[in-house]
Amino acid sequence: MNNDSIIVSSLSKRFSFPVKNQSAGWVKNLFVPEIKEIKAVDNISFSVKSGERVAFIGPNGAGKSTTIKMLTGILFPTAGSISVLGLDPAKDRKKLAYKIGTVFGQRSQLLPNLPLTDSLEFFGVMYDLSDKQIKIRIAELVELFNLGSFINQPVRKLSLGQRMRAEVASSLIHKPEIIFLDEPTIGLDVVAKKSLRDLLLKINNEEGTTIFLTSHDVGDIESLCSRTIVINHGTLVKDLPTQELARSFIREKYVDVTPEKTFDSFPELPSGLRYAVKEKNKITVVVDIEKITTQEALRKLLNVFEVDDIDVYNTSLEAVIRNMYESNPPRS
Amino acid sequence: MMKELRFALYATKKNIQGSAELRTSFLTNIAGMAINNTAFIIIWVFFVKSVGVVNGWTSADIIGLLGFGTLSFGVVFSAAAGIRKLADYVANGRFDHFMLSPKNLLVRIATSSFNASGVGDIIFGIACLTTYALLIHASIYQVLLIVLLIAISTIMFLSIAVAIYSVSFLFTDANPVTSGLFELFFTPSIFHGGAFHGVTRVIFTFIVPSLVVGALPVEIVRNISLEKLLLVSVLSFVWFFVSLKLFSMGVKKYESSNFMTFGG
Repeated sequence: MNNDSIIVSSLSKRFSFPVKNQSAGWVKNLFVPEIKEIKAVDNISFSVKSGERVAFIGPNGAGKSTTIKMLTGILFPTAGSISVLGLDPAKDRKKLAYKIGTVFGQRSQLLPNLPLTDSLEFFGVMYDLSDKQIKIRIAELVELFNLGSFINQPVRKLSLGQRMRAEVASSLIHKPEIIFLDEPTIGLDVVAKKSLRDLLLKINNEEGTTIFLTSHDVGDIESLCSRTIVINHGTLVKDLPTQELARSFIREKYVDVTPEKTFDSFPELPSGLRYAVKEKNKITVVVDIEKITTQEALRKLLNVFEVDDIDVYNTSLEAVIRNMYESNPPRS
Repeated sequence: MMKELRFALYATKKNIQGSAELRTSFLTNIAGMAINNTAFIIIWVFFVKSVGVVNGWTSADIIGLLGFGTLSFGVVFSAAAGIRKLADYVANGRFDHFMLSPKNLLVRIATSSFNASGVGDIIFGIACLTTYALLIHASIYQVLLIVLLIAISTIMFLSIAVAIYSVSFLFTDANPVTSGLFELFFTPSIFHGGAFHGVTRVIFTFIVPSLVVGALPVEIVRNISLEKLLLVSVLSFVWFFVSLKLFSMGVKKYESSNFMTFGG
């Protein structure tokens, strides 16, 4: 049996819009504008298994939100096919809506002037739950998301952290099989971020909900998603387990060296090594592992410096992702 | 169908509750609109008293005309006020939320907002039509016609509103265009019915169907004209299906956007 929740094949989306022709007059620009076409998503294919936690990442304008909007039926693809839970979002938008949940970090779906409980009830009615089912589900979500202390407060008076918890809770009222989250932790403080991530892990574990998430926050990706798909300029750059993401893209290692006394001079380093930090009490050396092995680098450093302590570590995932984005320049 | 209706009624209830939370604004809007309409009717009644009966239109007919016009306006733009926000929803990307709803898209949008001032129009419209029925000493048959014509003019009003605001899908910042088109439709619908004859009557019946909202219903009630009743019924249903088609064609052109928004 095929347990793929999402199957995307050769998916593309093009947008066209008028652009100002600098050499033409304003009348021509007004009535006969030049039309520019951009490929927001260009021939991407991937699939997501039921119960998976997938990060769909990329720099601004990479095509993440456009892809999510096509997966949820908001936008119609220009080419290619999508199957979400066996349905075509462009044709079966209403049927699909009963099976998926969505959270857009930059947009609220709650009723701002009414207590949170009214918003939850509103979504219950929208998803055709009976009054009894709504009552039971709200009680479950209040407990799961710890909403009790502010359930009767008008939504406009909630803190951002409380509101995001409420947004996720409301998107789960109908027990969706997949939840799409577009930058759910944007603007949250570290405590609220952790709390939201823990909750998402919990619903993935307890209710088997598939998580498909876009985020610029490396913490979301590292702590929440077992798999990462990288998109840039509309094309798929990488699709691999999150743990391997750092490993396969590491081109550099960092070595912190603490001196026996102090560093008085900073001699020139052998090829493949360069200083990142030069201080009397500590230096940090960047090792280009494509030119020199870590073992060789350590041997050379020990020959140059009188060392008290040494610490070798990898580039952060954030730096890995940054390098990945930077090394994939826009197509002309 | 029942599920759609249950949701539409529930959404309207929540919209009214949400609007009533801001009590002062809620009550001021209702009272303000009733006062505004009263001032408007006083002007027309004095106009008719000064110039006399024009093409058979008395001051009672003007009261009936404003009754049909304001009642259909009030019903559509209070309970289905979301239609009027369509241009904003499309421009700021909030339309995305409605696309994610398992309910009929048009019902979801229509019931996404409530306009308290529309309640003022409803109250005023009912008061006008009651006064009209009393002034013309309406028979039971005419009272039933008034009730039927309220439904027909409201369907026509709703259809034209949907058709006009569907323009929002065609280009960014469609507000000035939709407002202009709406005025083109609405202003003649509450204008002295005796002013339309010949070509203007044909244009404002068949091309811009403003007269179907108020003037023709008044003439139907006054003259008990079954031919005109058939005409307004057919026109309303034709426009209803045309507006649904225009709306669904517009949705296919929707291209989302990424502005930050708030509210359900």
